[in-house]
Amino acid sequence: MQKPPVAERLADIVGEKHVLSRQSELLVYNSDGLPGYRRQPRLAVFPATREETIKVVRVLAADGLPFVPRGAGTGLSGGALADDVVLLGLHRLKQIISVDVDNMRATVEPGVVNLRLNRHVAPHGLLYAPDPSSEAACTIGGNVAENAGGPHCLKYGVTLNHVLAITALLPDGEVVELGSATGERDGYDLRGAFIGSEGCFGVALDVTVKLTPRPETVRTLLADFMSVDEAARVTSAVIASGIVPAALEFMDGPTIRVVEDSVYAAGYPRDAEAILLIELDGLRAGVDADLETVRAICLGGGARAVKVAKDDAERMKLWQGRKKAFGAMGRLAPHLIVQDAVIPRTQLPAILKRIHAISEKYGVLVCNVFHAGDGNLHPNIAYSADDPAESERVHKAMTEIMTACIEVGGSITGEHGVGLDKMGYMESIFTANSLNAMCELRGAFDPDRRSNPGKVVPIHSCREWHGVASARVPQPLSAEPSHPAVA
Amino acid sequence: MTTESIARTIRDASAARTPLRVCGRSTWLDAGRPVRAKQTLSLRGDNGVVSYVPGDLTLTVRAGTSLAEIERATAEHDQWLPLDPYGSSDGTIGATVSTASAGPLASGFGLPRDLVLGMEFVSGRGEVIRCGGKVVKNVAGFDLTRLLTGSWGTLGVITEVTLRLYARPKVDRTFVVKLSGNKSDAAFLGTFLAARLGPFAFEVLSATAVRLLGLGDRAICLIRFGGNEAGVAGQLAALTALATPEEVDANLWTRVRQLERDADCVIRISGPPSAFADGLDDILGDDIPSTMTWMSPVRGLVRLVVRKSSDPNTSSDIIIGNESGGDHSGHFICEKLPPEVWRQVPSAVSDPLSQRIKRVFDRDDLLNPGILG
Repeated sequence: MQKPPVAERLADIVGEKHVLSRQSELLVYNSDGLPGYRRQPRLAVFPATREETIKVVRVLAADGLPFVPRGAGTGLSGGALADDVVLLGLHRLKQIISVDVDNMRATVEPGVVNLRLNRHVAPHGLLYAPDPSSEAACTIGGNVAENAGGPHCLKYGVTLNHVLAITALLPDGEVVELGSATGERDGYDLRGAFIGSEGCFGVALDVTVKLTPRPETVRTLLADFMSVDEAARVTSAVIASGIVPAALEFMDGPTIRVVEDSVYAAGYPRDAEAILLIELDGLRAGVDADLETVRAICLGGGARAVKVAKDDAERMKLWQGRKKAFGAMGRLAPHLIVQDAVIPRTQLPAILKRIHAISEKYGVLVCNVFHAGDGNLHPNIAYSADDPAESERVHKAMTEIMTACIEVGGSITGEHGVGLDKMGYMESIFTANSLNAMCELRGAFDPDRRSNPGKVVPIHSCREWHGVASARVPQPLSAEPSHPAVA
Repeated sequence: MTTESIARTIRDASAARTPLRVCGRSTWLDAGRPVRAKQTLSLRGDNGVVSYVPGDLTLTVRAGTSLAEIERATAEHDQWLPLDPYGSSDGTIGATVSTASAGPLASGFGLPRDLVLGMEFVSGRGEVIRCGGKVVKNVAGFDLTRLLTGSWGTLGVITEVTLRLYARPKVDRTFVVKLSGNKSDAAFLGTFLAARLGPFAFEVLSATAVRLLGLGDRAICLIRFGGNEAGVAGQLAALTALATPEEVDANLWTRVRQLERDADCVIRISGPPSAFADGLDDILGDDIPSTMTWMSPVRGLVRLVVRKSSDPNTSSDIIIGNESGGDHSGHFICEKLPPEVWRQVPSAVSDPLSQRIKRVFDRDDLLNPGILG
């Protein structure tokens, strides 16, 4: 007897209204936080519980169908785009399963929004440290998939350093425990391998995270400069001083002015060429001493003024401008390309000069807003993708910026992931052996490469590969479907 | 010695089907299970700094570099790698990362997985693989760095490691708080942890360990504070409000790490920190002269060390006694055991996923066969 179509079998599990197959309904799922790529899913399915998710993945496995896991779709690398395959949305799995205040940990479902977890544990004097700028929308499952960072990862570390355990559903439907929710364990660090695997190793059914005590004191400084170079040098000097700020963020003149023109205006000095937002936290006595050291480094390095936020409201306002900066860029042009390179921190002054020269060469406006303390750059260019000539200049400029970062020993992504967007750069930082090892590691989790096919590692880098085919080197804005039919 | 010569050794061994025992400076050969290999691949000769830009706070070294050499190189720039595995600093960084070994400073700075930024290794097929990078934040590609860290050389031979460094604190002070041996100890521990003072290290040592250190005959807490002067003064004031700390020389940490040098059985028991606070009396009260116990309450870790010349059954009793009874929410991690006891301990990598990963990197079981069971 012939099986009913997959959409019907999935609807039997999750309910009819949680399976989308009409092209018009699927349209909203054809991009993520990085405009510029469009991929239309064939089908979208949204389970609500762990049991439903397992059943859904097992149905897909039985039919050998590829799928793309997706959280809130806020990613910035095109990683959650389903190119004519099944999109598996996990945002309905949003239970905070448990919070263990004594041991400072929480277990949550993958669809729990980052900020919601933080609000939930705040009354206990705790926080979940990784704080991507999309924290108000992005999910913990997505954070795990991308090994997400955020401004405060300078001191506290990224997702990798805060996840204790993951219950993972492998693409073949097997459920495995990675890491341990109750303590350190031996064996391979499978949790470490899973974090940052960008949905290629399967789906997290629950995640146990470490919580961090809220610091006794938080002090936020705003230092403004009349020169980008001085701000860059001060950044390097603060890091070299040995003080580990909770955050050290950089915004250049164009970014400051866009933010100040927007609803997110934070009161940054409009005439400054750069500002540093520096946050120090910890025990009061130590923080106050570090604050004076940092203030002296800033003033000694050419800062025009150093302002210290006098209360939480003022702090929040200063942060609002930083966290919403990408949103504010929408004022400039319909599309935005955001780069995510990392460089050794001593290279900051030199690389900012290079970026400036590249922007002049191509006649594009590069706005720099980034995690300076980590050396994690986010040069971004607002442009119109509908103008082919402008698009070409923008992409050439971005490629040249990336090449410059690689040349000084940097990495192609610090926190946004490879997804579709960075695949073309993988061969410029990894050897064939390294890429092949990554392919084969993926094969240990997903022998058929059905989970998030065609992402992260270029398919031609995999020596032995015989699964479904869904891999092409991506071109922005090309949307023609390429995958074998979904039943 | 170069990566290429190590790769050639592995390829030759592969061709001849000769399993290899992978070693650093051979300071800890009795750790892990007995290895079924006659030929040794030592990384001892492959040492030295590859690159070090102090302003970046990152260091790249060859795997055979000892922790002591790293200490010396970084101290010149007032920096350090806050990694102090039990034993000594004679061992190599390659072995430390391969075994994911850590010590008291892990309470403040995390485990090797938190300090390693990237590496180069040679797989069991003799292929040179680089992963991670030299920058402090990096999500390019799948995380082979974490996978190799703590894999005990069974997935690949680590040849080079890039590490995250920290600036040495301006002030670094160590204090002893003597415990009373009654219920007030648990209360102190609970209050100290709740105060969240962020010590660099915080260990609780049983009376046997304290006696060996010549610090009296009662269990103690050892607390290390670091930072700027005002910060440490603030931490100390908070501690003084809870207990009567006495300052000791920071060299004490070296001696603590060396306590287990002659041990023939070392076991870590890990679990939720609160479980240990509740069981503090049992952990410290059961003071067998041949057995030292210490706790890292921040990590939720108890370390049991059975010294030589003790009753050979003791280690076996501990394992079997603990495996069969009590709370199963924690984990047993064995570092050193007599061979006959190892046989009774289940392998930590026997699950199908770990086995598939092993086959990816070392299909012929050439590297350290048997060490993880």
